[in-house]
Amino acid sequence: MKNKKTTPKKPMSDKQFGWLLIAPLCFVLAVFMLYPTVYAVVMSFTKYLMKGTPTWIGADNYRYILHNSEMWNSLGRTGLTVIICIVFELVLGMLLALLLNRDFRGQGIVRGLCFMPLLISPLAMSLIWSYILNNQYGIVNIILGWFNIYNIPWFSSVSMAKYTIMGMTIWQWLPFSTFVLLAGLKGLPKDQFEAAQVDGSSSWNTFWRLTVPTLKPLIMIIVLLRVMSLIRTYDPLYGTTRGGLGTETFDWYVYRMGFVKYDVGRGTALGVFSLVITLLISNVLYSQLMKALKKR
Amino acid sequence: MKKKKFSWKRVVFWIVLISVVSLFVFPIFWVYVTAFKTNAAIRSTSLAFTPTIENFVFLFTTRNAQVPLLNTIIISVVSTLLVMLISIPAAYSFARYSPSGNTLLFTTISTRMFPGVIAAIPFFLLFRDLNLLDTHIGIILMYVYFNMSFATFLMYGFFVDIPEQVEYAAMVDGYSRLDIIRKIVFPLAKPGIAITTIFTLIWSWNEFFFAFLFTGKVAKAVSVELSLFWGATQIQWGAMAALMCIAMLPTLAVAIFLQKYIVRGLSFGAVKG
Repeated sequence: MKNKKTTPKKPMSDKQFGWLLIAPLCFVLAVFMLYPTVYAVVMSFTKYLMKGTPTWIGADNYRYILHNSEMWNSLGRTGLTVIICIVFELVLGMLLALLLNRDFRGQGIVRGLCFMPLLISPLAMSLIWSYILNNQYGIVNIILGWFNIYNIPWFSSVSMAKYTIMGMTIWQWLPFSTFVLLAGLKGLPKDQFEAAQVDGSSSWNTFWRLTVPTLKPLIMIIVLLRVMSLIRTYDPLYGTTRGGLGTETFDWYVYRMGFVKYDVGRGTALGVFSLVITLLISNVLYSQLMKALKKR
Repeated sequence: MKKKKFSWKRVVFWIVLISVVSLFVFPIFWVYVTAFKTNAAIRSTSLAFTPTIENFVFLFTTRNAQVPLLNTIIISVVSTLLVMLISIPAAYSFARYSPSGNTLLFTTISTRMFPGVIAAIPFFLLFRDLNLLDTHIGIILMYVYFNMSFATFLMYGFFVDIPEQVEYAAMVDGYSRLDIIRKIVFPLAKPGIAITTIFTLIWSWNEFFFAFLFTGKVAKAVSVELSLFWGATQIQWGAMAALMCIAMLPTLAVAIFLQKYIVRGLSFGAVKG
Protein backbone atom coordinates (compact mmCIF):
# COMPACT_ATOMS: atom_id res chain seq x y z
CA MET A 1 0.00 0.00 0.00
CA LYS A 2 2.72 2.41 0.98
CA ASN A 3 4.51 1.87 -2.30
CA LYS A 4 1.47 2.91 -4.25
CA LYS A 5 1.30 6.25 -2.49
CA THR A 6 4.91 7.09 -3.16
CA THR A 7 4.93 6.10 -6.82
CA PRO A 8 4.91 9.50 -8.56
CA LYS A 9 3.01 8.47 -11.72
CA LYS A 10 0.03 7.01 -9.89
CA PRO A 11 -2.78 9.60 -9.84
CA MET A 12 -4.22 10.62 -6.52
CA SER A 13 -7.33 8.90 -5.27
CA ASP A 14 -10.48 10.98 -4.89
CA LYS A 15 -10.09 10.87 -1.16
CA GLN A 16 -6.53 12.18 -1.23
CA PHE A 17 -7.50 14.92 -3.65
CA GLY A 18 -10.36 15.84 -1.33
CA TRP A 19 -8.03 16.10 1.64
CA LEU A 20 -5.61 18.19 -0.38
CA LEU A 21 -8.35 20.74 -1.09
CA ILE A 22 -9.33 20.90 2.58
CA ALA A 23 -5.78 21.04 3.92
CA PRO A 24 -5.40 24.85 4.07
CA LEU A 25 -8.71 25.18 5.90
CA CYS A 26 -7.72 22.49 8.38
CA PHE A 27 -4.39 24.14 8.98
CA VAL A 28 -5.82 27.61 9.69
CA LEU A 29 -8.61 26.07 11.75
CA ALA A 30 -6.17 24.07 13.87
CA VAL A 31 -3.93 27.04 14.55
CA PHE A 32 -6.64 29.59 15.20
CA MET A 33 -8.95 27.36 17.16
CA LEU A 34 -6.56 25.25 19.20
CA TYR A 35 -4.07 27.97 20.07
CA PRO A 36 -6.43 30.37 21.88
CA THR A 37 -8.38 27.54 23.51
CA VAL A 38 -5.32 25.82 24.94
CA TYR A 39 -3.76 29.14 25.88
CA ALA A 40 -6.96 30.30 27.60
CA VAL A 41 -7.32 27.08 29.56
CA VAL A 42 -3.71 27.28 30.80
CA MET A 43 -3.81 31.00 31.60
CA SER A 44 -7.10 30.66 33.45
CA PHE A 45 -5.17 28.94 36.24
CA THR A 46 -2.70 31.79 36.63
CA LYS A 47 -2.56 35.32 37.89
CA TYR A 48 -1.32 37.59 35.12
CA LEU A 49 -1.98 41.30 34.64
CA MET A 50 -0.56 41.66 31.11
CA LYS A 51 2.87 42.47 32.52
CA GLY A 52 5.56 40.43 34.30
CA THR A 53 5.33 36.67 34.56
CA PRO A 54 2.16 34.66 35.21
CA THR A 55 1.99 32.84 38.55
CA TRP A 56 0.09 29.59 39.04
CA ILE A 57 -2.84 30.02 41.41
CA GLY A 58 -4.89 26.91 40.73
CA ALA A 59 -8.65 27.29 40.40
CA ASP A 60 -8.79 30.65 42.19
CA ASN A 61 -9.96 32.52 39.08
CA TYR A 62 -12.86 30.13 38.61
CA ARG A 63 -13.76 30.42 42.27
CA TYR A 64 -13.72 34.20 41.90
CA ILE A 65 -15.90 34.39 38.79
CA LEU A 66 -18.37 31.79 40.03
CA HIS A 67 -18.87 33.79 43.24
CA ASN A 68 -19.02 37.14 41.55
CA SER A 69 -22.45 38.77 41.48
CA GLU A 70 -21.50 41.05 38.57
CA MET A 71 -20.80 37.97 36.48
CA TRP A 72 -24.12 36.32 37.33
CA ASN A 73 -25.98 39.58 36.77
CA SER A 74 -24.44 40.05 33.35
CA LEU A 75 -25.11 36.41 32.49
CA GLY A 76 -28.72 36.67 33.64
CA ARG A 77 -29.17 39.86 31.66
CA THR A 78 -27.77 38.20 28.57
CA GLY A 79 -30.23 35.33 29.06
CA LEU A 80 -33.08 37.80 29.40
CA THR A 81 -31.95 39.60 26.24
CA VAL A 82 -31.84 36.33 24.32
CA ILE A 83 -35.34 35.31 25.41
CA ILE A 84 -37.07 38.68 24.99
CA CYS A 85 -35.47 39.46 21.64
CA ILE A 86 -36.20 36.04 20.17
CA VAL A 87 -39.81 35.99 21.37
CA PHE A 88 -40.49 39.43 19.90
CA GLU A 89 -38.62 38.66 16.69
CA LEU A 90 -40.60 35.46 16.20
CA VAL A 91 -44.03 36.85 17.04
CA LEU A 92 -43.67 40.13 15.18
CA GLY A 93 -41.78 38.35 12.40
CA MET A 94 -44.65 35.92 11.94
CA LEU A 95 -47.21 38.74 11.84
CA LEU A 96 -45.14 40.63 9.29
CA ALA A 97 -44.56 37.51 7.22
CA LEU A 98 -48.31 36.86 7.12
CA LEU A 99 -48.81 40.48 6.08
CA LEU A 100 -46.26 40.28 3.31
CA ASN A 101 -47.42 36.87 2.11
CA ARG A 102 -49.68 38.19 -0.60
CA ASP A 103 -49.17 39.62 -4.01
CA PHE A 104 -48.89 43.36 -4.17
CA ARG A 105 -47.17 45.85 -6.39
CA GLY A 106 -43.68 46.91 -5.31
CA GLN A 107 -42.79 43.74 -3.40
CA GLY A 108 -39.17 44.06 -4.47
CA ILE A 109 -38.84 47.61 -3.19
CA VAL A 110 -40.49 46.71 0.11
CA ARG A 111 -38.13 43.76 0.59
CA GLY A 112 -35.06 45.83 -0.23
CA LEU A 113 -36.03 48.61 2.17
CA CYS A 114 -36.79 46.16 4.98
CA PHE A 115 -33.41 44.47 4.52
CA MET A 116 -31.52 47.69 5.22
CA PRO A 117 -31.35 47.44 9.05
CA LEU A 118 -29.97 43.90 8.77
CA LEU A 119 -26.86 44.81 6.87
CA ILE A 120 -25.68 47.93 8.68
CA SER A 121 -23.13 47.33 11.40
CA PRO A 122 -24.44 46.85 14.95
CA LEU A 123 -22.18 49.68 16.08
CA ALA A 124 -23.65 52.10 13.53
CA MET A 125 -27.09 50.86 14.54
CA SER A 126 -26.46 51.72 18.19
CA LEU A 127 -25.07 55.15 17.30
CA ILE A 128 -28.09 55.88 15.10
CA TRP A 129 -30.47 55.03 17.92
CA SER A 130 -28.63 57.01 20.56
CA TYR A 131 -28.87 59.95 18.19
CA ILE A 132 -32.54 59.71 17.34
CA LEU A 133 -33.46 58.96 20.95
CA ASN A 134 -31.33 61.81 22.30
CA ASN A 135 -33.17 63.51 25.15
CA GLN A 136 -32.78 67.10 23.95
CA TYR A 137 -32.87 67.00 20.17
CA GLY A 138 -33.53 63.42 19.15
CA ILE A 139 -36.24 63.23 16.49
CA VAL A 140 -38.27 60.63 18.37
CA ASN A 141 -38.48 62.87 21.42
CA ILE A 142 -39.33 65.89 19.27
CA ILE A 143 -42.23 63.96 17.74
CA LEU A 144 -43.35 62.65 21.14
CA GLY A 145 -43.20 66.27 22.34
CA TRP A 146 -45.94 67.16 19.86
CA PHE A 147 -48.16 64.82 21.86
CA ASN A 148 -46.94 66.28 25.15
CA ILE A 149 -44.88 63.25 26.05
CA TYR A 150 -41.58 64.39 27.51
CA ASN A 151 -38.50 63.03 29.22
CA ILE A 152 -38.59 59.35 28.48
CA PRO A 153 -35.26 58.14 29.93
CA TRP A 154 -34.41 55.88 26.97
CA PHE A 155 -30.79 55.35 27.93
CA SER A 156 -30.52 57.18 31.22
CA SER A 157 -32.39 55.02 33.68
CA VAL A 158 -31.52 51.63 35.07
CA SER A 159 -35.05 50.34 34.65
CA MET A 160 -35.30 51.35 30.98
CA ALA A 161 -31.87 51.29 29.33
CA LYS A 162 -31.62 47.54 28.85
CA TYR A 163 -35.06 47.37 27.24
CA THR A 164 -34.18 50.21 24.89
CA ILE A 165 -31.13 48.26 23.78
CA MET A 166 -33.24 45.13 23.30
CA GLY A 167 -35.69 47.18 21.25
CA MET A 168 -32.87 48.40 19.01
CA THR A 169 -31.66 44.84 18.51
CA ILE A 170 -35.16 43.67 17.65
CA TRP A 171 -35.46 46.54 15.16
CA GLN A 172 -32.28 45.40 13.44
CA TRP A 173 -33.08 41.68 13.31
CA LEU A 174 -36.87 41.60 12.85
CA PRO A 175 -36.49 41.58 9.03
CA PHE A 176 -34.43 38.40 9.32
CA SER A 177 -37.07 36.28 11.04
CA THR A 178 -39.74 37.92 8.87
CA PHE A 179 -38.15 36.92 5.59
CA VAL A 180 -37.12 33.45 6.72
CA LEU A 181 -40.71 32.79 7.79
CA LEU A 182 -42.00 34.38 4.60
CA ALA A 183 -39.83 32.00 2.57
CA GLY A 184 -41.45 29.18 4.55
CA LEU A 185 -44.98 30.50 4.00
CA LYS A 186 -44.43 30.76 0.24
CA GLY A 187 -43.28 27.16 0.15
CA LEU A 188 -46.26 25.71 2.04
CA PRO A 189 -48.15 22.95 0.21
CA LYS A 190 -51.36 24.58 -1.06
CA ASP A 191 -53.48 21.42 -1.32
CA GLN A 192 -53.29 20.70 2.41
CA PHE A 193 -54.59 24.17 3.19
CA GLU A 194 -57.41 23.85 0.71
CA ALA A 195 -58.33 20.53 2.27
CA ALA A 196 -58.38 22.13 5.71
CA GLN A 197 -60.61 24.90 4.40
CA VAL A 198 -63.01 22.40 2.88
CA ASP A 199 -63.11 20.58 6.21
CA GLY A 200 -64.32 23.82 7.76
CA SER A 201 -61.26 24.44 9.90
CA SER A 202 -61.07 28.06 11.06
CA SER A 203 -58.05 30.06 9.90
CA TRP A 204 -56.89 30.33 13.52
CA ASN A 205 -56.97 26.55 13.76
CA THR A 206 -55.26 26.06 10.43
CA PHE A 207 -52.51 28.44 11.52
CA TRP A 208 -51.72 26.53 14.72
CA ARG A 209 -52.35 23.01 13.47
CA LEU A 210 -50.83 23.30 10.01
CA THR A 211 -48.75 26.43 9.43
CA VAL A 212 -46.72 26.51 12.64
CA PRO A 213 -45.82 22.80 12.67
CA THR A 214 -44.75 22.94 9.03
CA LEU A 215 -42.59 25.99 9.71
CA LYS A 216 -41.04 24.44 12.82
CA PRO A 217 -37.63 23.67 11.26
CA LEU A 218 -37.36 27.27 10.07
CA ILE A 219 -38.34 28.56 13.50
CA MET A 220 -35.64 26.34 15.00
CA ILE A 221 -33.06 27.70 12.58
CA ILE A 222 -34.01 31.26 13.52
CA VAL A 223 -33.75 30.43 17.23
CA LEU A 224 -30.38 28.69 16.81
CA LEU A 225 -28.80 31.49 14.82
CA ARG A 226 -30.24 34.24 16.96
CA VAL A 227 -29.23 32.63 20.26
CA MET A 228 -25.71 32.25 18.96
CA SER A 229 -25.39 35.89 18.01
CA LEU A 230 -27.39 37.34 20.92
CA ILE A 231 -25.31 35.66 23.62
CA ARG A 232 -22.40 37.65 22.26
CA THR A 233 -24.05 41.07 22.45
CA TYR A 234 -21.31 43.67 22.62
CA ASP A 235 -21.43 46.25 19.83
CA PRO A 236 -24.91 47.66 20.60
CA LEU A 237 -23.70 48.57 24.07
CA TYR A 238 -20.69 50.46 22.81
CA GLY A 239 -22.68 53.16 21.06
CA THR A 240 -25.17 53.55 23.90
CA THR A 241 -24.48 52.94 27.58
CA ARG A 242 -21.06 51.24 27.47
CA GLY A 243 -22.29 48.62 29.88
CA GLY A 244 -23.45 51.15 32.45
CA LEU A 245 -26.91 51.62 33.96
CA GLY A 246 -27.65 47.97 34.38
CA THR A 247 -27.06 46.99 30.76
CA GLU A 248 -23.83 45.02 31.02
CA THR A 249 -23.94 41.77 29.04
CA PHE A 250 -21.71 38.78 29.55
CA ASP A 251 -19.36 39.62 26.70
CA TRP A 252 -19.03 43.18 27.94
CA TYR A 253 -18.12 41.83 31.36
CA VAL A 254 -15.43 39.60 29.85
CA TYR A 255 -14.13 42.52 27.82
CA ARG A 256 -13.99 44.68 30.94
CA MET A 257 -12.14 41.99 32.87
CA GLY A 258 -9.57 41.44 30.14
CA PHE A 259 -9.12 44.83 28.55
CA VAL A 260 -10.08 47.36 31.21
CA LYS A 261 -8.83 45.59 34.34
CA TYR A 262 -6.09 43.78 32.33
CA ASP A 263 -6.79 40.63 34.33
CA VAL A 264 -5.74 37.91 31.90
CA GLY A 265 -6.30 35.06 34.37
CA ARG A 266 -9.89 35.92 35.22
CA GLY A 267 -10.58 37.05 31.65
CA THR A 268 -9.51 33.73 30.17
CA ALA A 269 -11.35 31.84 32.92
CA LEU A 270 -14.48 33.71 31.81
CA GLY A 271 -13.66 32.83 28.21
CA VAL A 272 -13.48 29.15 29.05
CA PHE A 273 -16.71 29.42 31.06
CA SER A 274 -18.36 31.12 28.10
CA LEU A 275 -17.11 28.39 25.76
CA VAL A 276 -18.63 25.68 27.94
CA ILE A 277 -21.99 27.48 28.06
CA THR A 278 -21.95 28.08 24.31
CA LEU A 279 -21.17 24.43 23.57
CA LEU A 280 -23.95 23.24 25.88
CA ILE A 281 -26.53 25.56 24.35
CA SER A 282 -25.53 24.93 20.75
CA ASN A 283 -25.57 21.17 21.34
CA VAL A 284 -29.10 21.24 22.72
CA LEU A 285 -30.37 23.54 19.99
CA TYR A 286 -28.58 21.63 17.29
CA SER A 287 -30.05 18.27 18.27
CA GLN A 288 -33.49 19.90 18.49
CA LEU A 289 -33.02 21.30 15.00
CA MET A 290 -31.98 17.92 13.64
CA LYS A 291 -35.06 16.33 15.23
CA ALA A 292 -37.31 18.95 13.67
CA LEU A 293 -35.68 18.45 10.27
CA LYS A 294 -36.06 14.67 10.44
CA LYS A 295 -39.74 14.83 11.29
CA ARG A 296 -40.41 16.86 8.17
CA MET B 1 -55.51 46.58 -17.45
CA LYS B 2 -58.41 45.75 -15.24
CA LYS B 3 -59.33 48.44 -12.80
CA LYS B 4 -59.04 47.18 -9.23
CA LYS B 5 -62.00 47.66 -6.95
CA PHE B 6 -61.62 49.88 -3.94
CA SER B 7 -61.66 47.97 -0.70
CA TRP B 8 -61.09 49.01 2.90
CA LYS B 9 -59.07 45.89 3.46
CA ARG B 10 -56.52 47.03 0.91
CA VAL B 11 -56.33 50.52 2.40
CA VAL B 12 -55.58 49.07 5.83
CA PHE B 13 -53.00 46.72 4.31
CA TRP B 14 -51.14 49.59 2.67
CA ILE B 15 -51.27 51.79 5.77
CA VAL B 16 -49.81 49.00 7.90
CA LEU B 17 -47.22 48.15 5.25
CA ILE B 18 -46.07 51.73 4.85
CA SER B 19 -45.79 52.23 8.62
CA VAL B 20 -43.71 49.07 8.96
CA VAL B 21 -41.40 50.01 6.10
CA SER B 22 -40.90 53.54 7.41
CA LEU B 23 -40.12 52.14 10.86
CA PHE B 24 -37.25 50.21 9.28
CA VAL B 25 -36.09 52.92 6.92
CA PHE B 26 -36.62 56.16 8.80
CA PRO B 27 -33.71 55.87 11.31
CA ILE B 28 -31.29 55.24 8.45
CA PHE B 29 -32.83 57.98 6.30
CA TRP B 30 -32.47 60.37 9.24
CA VAL B 31 -28.71 59.77 9.38
CA TYR B 32 -28.48 60.89 5.76
CA VAL B 33 -30.47 64.03 6.60
CA THR B 34 -28.30 64.77 9.62
CA ALA B 35 -25.09 64.47 7.62
CA PHE B 36 -26.10 67.63 5.75
CA LYS B 37 -26.98 69.66 8.84
CA THR B 38 -24.78 72.11 10.72
CA ASN B 39 -24.08 71.31 14.35
CA ALA B 40 -26.36 74.15 15.37
CA ALA B 41 -29.19 72.74 13.27
CA ILE B 42 -28.65 69.30 14.77
CA ARG B 43 -28.98 70.68 18.27
CA SER B 44 -32.15 72.63 17.60
CA THR B 45 -35.61 71.17 17.97
CA SER B 46 -36.95 72.76 14.80
CA LEU B 47 -36.97 70.50 11.79
CA ALA B 48 -36.20 73.14 9.13
CA PHE B 49 -32.57 73.56 8.05
CA THR B 50 -30.38 74.59 5.13
CA PRO B 51 -28.25 71.75 3.76
CA THR B 52 -24.49 72.06 3.98
CA ILE B 53 -21.52 69.85 3.15
CA GLU B 54 -19.35 71.18 5.98
CA ASN B 55 -19.45 67.82 7.80
CA PHE B 56 -17.93 66.03 4.83
CA VAL B 57 -15.31 68.75 4.42
CA PHE B 58 -14.42 68.46 8.12
CA LEU B 59 -14.27 64.68 7.81
CA PHE B 60 -11.79 64.64 4.94
CA THR B 61 -9.64 67.61 5.95
CA THR B 62 -9.44 67.81 9.74
CA ARG B 63 -10.25 64.20 10.60
CA ASN B 64 -8.47 62.53 7.67
CA ALA B 65 -11.30 60.03 7.37
CA GLN B 66 -9.83 58.80 4.09
CA VAL B 67 -7.20 56.89 6.12
CA PRO B 68 -9.61 54.64 8.06
CA LEU B 69 -11.77 54.27 4.95
CA LEU B 70 -8.77 53.09 2.95
CA ASN B 71 -7.70 50.81 5.83
CA THR B 72 -11.10 49.18 5.94
CA ILE B 73 -11.09 48.70 2.18
CA ILE B 74 -7.63 47.08 2.30
CA ILE B 75 -8.50 44.89 5.28
CA SER B 76 -11.86 43.73 3.93
CA VAL B 77 -10.62 43.07 0.40
CA VAL B 78 -7.41 41.24 1.34
CA SER B 79 -9.05 39.15 4.07
CA THR B 80 -11.92 38.27 1.73
CA LEU B 81 -9.50 37.20 -1.01
CA LEU B 82 -7.65 34.96 1.44
CA VAL B 83 -10.91 33.56 2.77
CA MET B 84 -12.03 32.67 -0.74
CA LEU B 85 -8.68 31.06 -1.56
CA ILE B 86 -9.08 28.76 1.43
CA SER B 87 -12.84 28.28 1.33
CA ILE B 88 -13.58 27.61 -2.34
CA PRO B 89 -11.46 24.42 -2.55
CA ALA B 90 -12.56 23.32 0.92
CA ALA B 91 -16.26 23.83 0.19
CA TYR B 92 -15.95 22.02 -3.12
CA SER B 93 -14.16 19.15 -1.45
CA PHE B 94 -16.82 18.89 1.27
CA ALA B 95 -19.55 18.88 -1.36
CA ARG B 96 -17.96 16.40 -3.77
CA TYR B 97 -15.53 14.18 -1.91
CA SER B 98 -16.47 14.65 1.78
CA PRO B 99 -13.20 12.98 2.77
CA SER B 100 -13.96 13.00 6.48
CA GLY B 101 -17.66 12.34 6.42
CA ASN B 102 -19.57 15.29 7.79
CA THR B 103 -17.65 15.68 11.05
CA LEU B 104 -15.15 18.20 9.77
CA LEU B 105 -17.82 20.26 8.08
CA PHE B 106 -19.66 20.60 11.38
CA THR B 107 -16.44 21.37 13.22
CA THR B 108 -15.91 24.13 10.68
CA ILE B 109 -19.29 25.70 11.21
CA SER B 110 -19.09 25.30 14.96
CA THR B 111 -16.11 27.68 15.03
CA ARG B 112 -18.65 30.35 14.13
CA MET B 113 -20.32 29.60 17.46
CA PHE B 114 -17.04 29.94 19.30
CA PRO B 115 -17.30 32.94 21.58
CA GLY B 116 -15.10 35.71 20.22
CA VAL B 117 -14.04 36.65 23.72
CA ILE B 118 -12.16 33.39 24.17
CA ALA B 119 -9.97 34.25 21.18
CA ALA B 120 -9.61 37.91 22.07
CA ILE B 121 -7.19 37.75 25.01
CA PRO B 122 -4.87 34.98 23.72
CA PHE B 123 -4.56 36.61 20.31
CA PHE B 124 -4.13 40.04 21.83
CA LEU B 125 -1.14 38.82 23.84
CA LEU B 126 0.25 36.79 20.93
CA PHE B 127 -0.04 39.73 18.54
CA ARG B 128 1.55 41.98 21.14
CA ASP B 129 4.56 39.68 21.34
CA LEU B 130 4.77 39.33 17.56
CA ASN B 131 4.32 43.10 17.03
CA LEU B 132 1.17 42.45 15.03
CA LEU B 133 -1.06 44.77 17.05
CA ASP B 134 -2.28 47.74 15.04
CA THR B 135 -1.10 46.21 11.78
CA HIS B 136 -3.16 45.35 8.73
CA ILE B 137 -1.81 41.80 8.71
CA GLY B 138 -2.90 41.12 12.29
CA ILE B 139 -6.51 42.12 11.83
CA ILE B 140 -6.64 40.47 8.39
CA LEU B 141 -5.59 37.16 9.99
CA MET B 142 -8.35 37.44 12.57
CA TYR B 143 -10.95 38.10 9.86
CA VAL B 144 -9.70 35.21 7.76
CA TYR B 145 -10.24 32.88 10.69
CA PHE B 146 -13.65 34.25 11.62
CA ASN B 147 -15.04 34.39 8.10
CA MET B 148 -13.69 31.26 6.50
CA SER B 149 -15.98 28.84 8.31
CA PHE B 150 -19.01 30.89 7.33
CA ALA B 151 -17.79 31.19 3.74
CA THR B 152 -17.06 27.48 3.47
CA PHE B 153 -20.46 26.54 4.81
CA LEU B 154 -22.34 28.97 2.58
CA MET B 155 -20.49 27.88 -0.57
CA TYR B 156 -20.88 24.22 0.35
CA GLY B 157 -24.61 24.76 -0.17
CA PHE B 158 -24.05 26.17 -3.63
CA PHE B 159 -21.63 23.41 -4.68
CA VAL B 160 -23.98 20.69 -3.48
CA ASP B 161 -26.66 22.12 -5.79
CA ILE B 162 -24.51 21.48 -8.87
CA PRO B 163 -25.57 18.09 -10.26
CA GLU B 164 -22.77 15.53 -10.13
CA GLN B 165 -23.74 14.15 -13.55
CA VAL B 166 -22.33 17.25 -15.22
CA GLU B 167 -18.95 16.44 -13.73
CA TYR B 168 -19.16 12.73 -14.63
CA ALA B 169 -19.91 13.69 -18.20
CA ALA B 170 -16.83 15.89 -18.28
CA MET B 171 -14.75 13.11 -16.76
CA VAL B 172 -15.87 10.76 -19.53
CA ASP B 173 -14.78 13.42 -22.02
CA GLY B 174 -11.30 13.15 -20.55
CA TYR B 175 -11.20 16.25 -18.37
CA SER B 176 -8.80 16.11 -15.43
CA ARG B 177 -10.03 16.95 -11.94
CA LEU B 178 -8.50 20.40 -12.07
CA ASP B 179 -9.97 21.02 -15.52
CA ILE B 180 -13.39 20.04 -14.19
CA ILE B 181 -13.06 22.55 -11.38
CA ARG B 182 -11.80 25.29 -13.66
CA LYS B 183 -13.99 24.79 -16.69
CA ILE B 184 -17.17 23.19 -15.35
CA VAL B 185 -17.68 23.76 -11.64
CA PHE B 186 -16.31 27.27 -11.32
CA PRO B 187 -18.56 28.84 -13.97
CA LEU B 188 -21.60 27.07 -12.53
CA ALA B 189 -20.76 28.15 -8.98
CA LYS B 190 -20.05 31.76 -9.92
CA PRO B 191 -23.25 33.23 -8.41
CA GLY B 192 -22.63 31.37 -5.16
CA ILE B 193 -19.04 32.51 -5.03
CA ALA B 194 -20.09 36.09 -5.74
CA ILE B 195 -22.69 36.06 -2.95
CA THR B 196 -20.25 34.54 -0.48
CA THR B 197 -17.62 37.12 -1.41
CA ILE B 198 -20.06 39.94 -0.83
CA PHE B 199 -21.16 38.62 2.54
CA THR B 200 -17.58 38.09 3.68
CA LEU B 201 -16.81 41.64 2.59
CA ILE B 202 -19.76 42.97 4.59
CA TRP B 203 -18.78 41.05 7.74
CA SER B 204 -15.25 42.45 7.63
CA TRP B 205 -16.53 45.88 6.70
CA ASN B 206 -18.91 46.01 9.66
CA GLU B 207 -16.76 44.25 12.26
CA PHE B 208 -16.08 46.28 15.37
CA PHE B 209 -15.04 44.17 18.39
CA PHE B 210 -11.69 42.94 17.07
CA ALA B 211 -10.99 46.09 15.08
CA PHE B 212 -11.46 48.07 18.28
CA LEU B 213 -9.19 45.81 20.34
CA PHE B 214 -6.51 45.09 17.76
CA THR B 215 -6.12 48.36 15.84
CA GLY B 216 -5.37 51.85 17.04
CA LYS B 217 -3.71 54.36 14.77
CA VAL B 218 -2.03 52.76 11.78
CA ALA B 219 -4.61 50.15 10.82
CA LYS B 220 -7.62 51.94 12.33
CA ALA B 221 -10.85 50.78 10.70
CA VAL B 222 -13.93 52.88 9.90
CA SER B 223 -15.89 51.26 12.70
CA VAL B 224 -13.21 52.34 15.17
CA GLU B 225 -13.17 55.87 13.75
CA LEU B 226 -16.97 55.97 14.18
CA SER B 227 -16.68 54.91 17.79
CA LEU B 228 -14.20 57.71 18.47
CA PHE B 229 -16.83 60.35 17.74
CA TRP B 230 -18.96 58.79 20.43
CA GLY B 231 -16.10 58.80 22.91
CA ALA B 232 -15.56 62.55 22.64
CA THR B 233 -16.94 64.76 25.40
CA GLN B 234 -18.86 66.86 22.89
CA ILE B 235 -20.32 64.40 20.41
CA GLN B 236 -19.98 65.64 16.84
CA TRP B 237 -23.16 64.13 15.48
CA GLY B 238 -22.82 65.86 12.12
CA ALA B 239 -19.41 64.46 11.26
CA MET B 240 -20.37 61.09 12.72
CA ALA B 241 -23.52 60.96 10.57
CA ALA B 242 -21.48 61.93 7.51
CA LEU B 243 -19.01 59.09 8.08
CA MET B 244 -21.85 56.69 8.77
CA CYS B 245 -23.46 57.65 5.46
CA ILE B 246 -20.32 56.68 3.62
CA ALA B 247 -19.72 53.53 5.65
CA MET B 248 -23.31 52.31 5.19
CA LEU B 249 -23.52 52.96 1.44
CA PRO B 250 -22.11 49.62 0.23
CA THR B 251 -24.24 47.58 2.61
CA LEU B 252 -27.40 49.47 1.73
CA ALA B 253 -26.64 48.92 -1.96
CA VAL B 254 -26.41 45.20 -1.26
CA ALA B 255 -29.78 45.32 0.55
CA ILE B 256 -31.43 46.78 -2.53
CA PHE B 257 -29.68 44.90 -5.32
CA LEU B 258 -29.01 41.45 -3.88
CA GLN B 259 -32.17 40.95 -1.84
CA LYS B 260 -32.75 37.53 -3.38
CA TYR B 261 -29.71 36.17 -1.57
CA ILE B 262 -29.77 38.01 1.76
CA VAL B 263 -31.78 35.47 3.72
CA ARG B 264 -29.59 32.68 2.39
CA GLY B 265 -26.43 34.54 3.33
CA LEU B 266 -27.58 35.51 6.80
CA SER B 267 -28.81 32.04 7.65
CA PHE B 268 -25.45 30.52 6.66
CA GLY B 269 -27.11 28.91 3.67
CA ALA B 270 -29.72 27.11 5.79
CA VAL B 271 -32.69 28.95 4.24
CA LYS B 272 -32.91 29.47 0.52
CA GLY B 273 -35.22 32.49 0.74
